[in-house]
Amino acid sequence: MENKEKLLLEIKDLKTHFFTEDGVVKAVDGVDFEVYQGETLGIVGESGCGKSVTAFSILRLLDYPGKTVGGEVIFKGENLLKKTEDEMRGIRGKEIAIIFQEPMTALNPVLTVGFQISEALMMHFKIGKKEAINKSVELLKKVEIPMPEERANEYPHQLSGGMRQRAMIAMAMSCDPILLIADEPTTALDVTIQAQILDLMMALLREFNGSLIMITHDLGVIAEIADRIAIMYAGKVVEYADKKTIFHNPLHPYTLGLLTSIPRLDVEMKRLDVIPGIVPNPLHFPSGCKFNPRCRFATDRCKKEEPSLIKIEEGHLVRCWNVDKVVKEVKKGFLVGV
Amino acid sequence: MANSLLQVKNLVKFFPIKKGVFRKTVGWIQAVDDVSFEIYEGETLGLVGESGCGKTTTALTILRLEEPTKGQVIFDGRDVVKMKKADLRKERKNMQIIFQDPYSSLDPRMKIKDIIAEGILTHNLLKVRERYKRVGELLEKVGIPAENMDSFPHEFSGGQRQRIGIARALALEPKIIMCDEAVSALDVSIRSQIINLLKDLQKEFNLTYLFIAHDLSVIKYISDRVVVMYLGKIVEIADKKELFTNTMHPYTQALISAVPVPNPDYKKERIILKGDVPSPANPPTGCRFHPRCSKVMKICSEIEPKLTEAKEGHFCACHLYNEK
Repeated sequence: MENKEKLLLEIKDLKTHFFTEDGVVKAVDGVDFEVYQGETLGIVGESGCGKSVTAFSILRLLDYPGKTVGGEVIFKGENLLKKTEDEMRGIRGKEIAIIFQEPMTALNPVLTVGFQISEALMMHFKIGKKEAINKSVELLKKVEIPMPEERANEYPHQLSGGMRQRAMIAMAMSCDPILLIADEPTTALDVTIQAQILDLMMALLREFNGSLIMITHDLGVIAEIADRIAIMYAGKVVEYADKKTIFHNPLHPYTLGLLTSIPRLDVEMKRLDVIPGIVPNPLHFPSGCKFNPRCRFATDRCKKEEPSLIKIEEGHLVRCWNVDKVVKEVKKGFLVGV
Repeated sequence: MANSLLQVKNLVKFFPIKKGVFRKTVGWIQAVDDVSFEIYEGETLGLVGESGCGKTTTALTILRLEEPTKGQVIFDGRDVVKMKKADLRKERKNMQIIFQDPYSSLDPRMKIKDIIAEGILTHNLLKVRERYKRVGELLEKVGIPAENMDSFPHEFSGGQRQRIGIARALALEPKIIMCDEAVSALDVSIRSQIINLLKDLQKEFNLTYLFIAHDLSVIKYISDRVVVMYLGKIVEIADKKELFTNTMHPYTQALISAVPVPNPDYKKERIILKGDVPSPANPPTGCRFHPRCSKVMKICSEIEPKLTEAKEGHFCACHLYNEK
């Protein structure tokens, strides 16, 4: 990415821990990334890797026992972690909006869809109820919900899953936010509906040059919409690069493992690669590199010392001691047909 | 060609919609409507479609976990639908199922050795000591150390629980296993472990799978032949390779084009379907896909297309191909 582009959000060494009865869960433990104006950053990882907690920490939506204990969230040059709760209210929804995975639990079941959208409009723009409702209908029309006037008076359970997610997008876009965080927005949807929703989201963002942080476990979705990608494992970013680099020249064993273990439509695969073992329990992370028990390149050093996120080349950062070995593996051609 | 192991003929399953104080039936959910296909011995038949298209209901009615409204299910030459309870119970030994959610499909109060041994006990196959020896073997087969057999389900991760579900299905040495979204709830790295395990077990025990999934990439990887369903009907059946290279039905085309491919250089034309899947309580007339179809013709809203063989082994229910 060129430097001409405006840096919108910068996360530096973010640490969010949960203080539970069983011990401290380091859900997010050193996450760094940047988001530029107009670009899409994809955060990829499996369940429990801290993707969602990262999103919640940016907006400071976490309650006890979760607490952000370190790092900086610099949005438009200001650290959000230092803002007062009142200042945050002015930012949430207006400048940074979020779309959740499960539209049914994110929407309030006893309020009409129209009212829920107008709430944010009334608060941020100080407009009357009538005007806000009218604007909500317009927004519902914009997200291509048929018969928006009637739909605005309906309750969430009366809408289909895809429609609910459209309503969520209308709500998130209501105040023209400059940054949208989407936390697995299409995971609960069918593929044909997913295609509709992604299309709509990207079109709306392009309209006002907004940025997007897309959180997902689906590498296919990421390949389609992201500009840059952060791969997360056990609370840390393990690899960070632009899309092409991640897919063609991955340097972290975990990224490589993910790419070769998914069945895909574009290549014939004889047998899927396997990342052995399971995601470690966050209460008892292994020492050294957190991926070492599952890594086929692991050495003694990996078990003792934790690697830091090192710049390999401009815009490509990796957290691994054995980058040379992975490079050799990738050079051999890790996927036929790509 | 291999022998046909299971034939489903004109299977219908309607669920009543009840309303009011007297629970009067006011309509029917047409979950599975006139579905016919066969499964050959040793193959994996993929059944794909979006939520609500009747994939799961099809599997459940085949096992008679749901009573079919109409139709025949011929398994090993006998009609499962007409069987008496006792015969059915015996026959179920040969037909097992693996469920989607490894959390709700295992009884939290039972030790896993008892979960796996339950079928063996029901069918009175082995004495106690041999039974648990067999459980141990099964657990090792699916990659869980046998010494863990006294643990409870909550002590295992999602992937391990799915392995336990597989061991349970294997316990009776079935001929066919229905895998109902068996890998959908799992993380990427765990999913490939389970898919590989299913493939290995198939080879070792000459198993036949009816593999139900909504994820086309998984279906493409694991299946030999594929059945595509839409709103209770089969729209296309073909050999895997044929289906993905020579897609006929407009719905299948749209479905394949909607799958995101993890390759930034992969270019394809995307067909975006308009609207939502209609309700199975009130499906459209004629072809059920016609309100969303990009190639809709006049006839489509009037006459329902029949599933016909357009090419050898390639069946399609669409008026585009029926005229010629």
